[in-house]
Amino acid sequence: MTDQKIDFSALDPSRDAKRWESLIESVASRAVAARRRQVSLPYQLMAWMRPALAIAAAAAVVTWVGALTSSGTDSAAALESEEHPAFVLSRWAMADERPSTKKIYQVLGGQNVRE
Amino acid sequence: MPSDPPTADLVVRAQRGEARAFEALAREHLRAAYSIALAVVGRPADAEDVAQNALLIAFERIDTCRQPERFSGWLVRIVRNQAKNWLSRRKLRESPAQDRTEEQRDDAAGPEVALSRGRLVQALGQISQVQREIVLLHDLEGWTHAEIAAALDISEVMSRQHLFQARQKLRVQLAEPACVGGVG
Repeated sequence: MTDQKIDFSALDPSRDAKRWESLIESVASRAVAARRRQVSLPYQLMAWMRPALAIAAAAAVVTWVGALTSSGTDSAAALESEEHPAFVLSRWAMADERPSTKKIYQVLGGQNVRE
Repeated sequence: MPSDPPTADLVVRAQRGEARAFEALAREHLRAAYSIALAVVGRPADAEDVAQNALLIAFERIDTCRQPERFSGWLVRIVRNQAKNWLSRRKLRESPAQDRTEEQRDDAAGPEVALSRGRLVQALGQISQVQREIVLLHDLEGWTHAEIAAALDISEVMSRQHLFQARQKLRVQLAEPACVGGVG
């Protein structure tokens, strides 16, 4: 008796074959569209931007601390300026800001950036 | 369960971004996802929605499927999580009036199907979740015990025991020979 299957055909979602086929096609096309978005350049840039900025900020802080401990009063005063790259990068990272590439370049000393 | 081409190949091809691989995986796994979802949420219409969402999530995270040959088990975990989240949200937002709307939606399939479906759903509610998963995967989806054991991370012996007990309890609940189908 219990080696016989229970008839679950009333619960079978593919009973309506046409509707089921359209469900499958819908899932597949949405998956492909999502996949294309994932591999697109803006998505990849967004995915990389935050960790890249965090690493840059960490590197800047290390450099800043190193410079503070090894150099004279004048350079220490300059490093304490709010315009110093290390300070600006740290502020961006702490505030979770996403500055434009141009801004980052300018802060790091780029001179010939077009407006 | 899929055999040609093997699921693992399809997963690898999907990871490379092949559109056809996604469609083949959806064709082969949407019903199984529905069975797992139904075992948790208990309503066919909700189970369809959960199965679709879970499969989409699985496809979005396909790169994190490190063992393509174990895709079924990986998908089962995603479906269970999605179904449990769905159930929590449903408990928060629903009233008895909405339950009646759900029953009316089922009635659209026709009175006989709705009646049979209602009795099956009620009977399934009397057994444990793992028993529901196994009996649906085996008797509705046609999976073997080896496939069920691999996907649910249990032994084949355990799968057989659960199926035996589930059928026994379901037959008591259904208690009509008309609900008994072919030999399994």
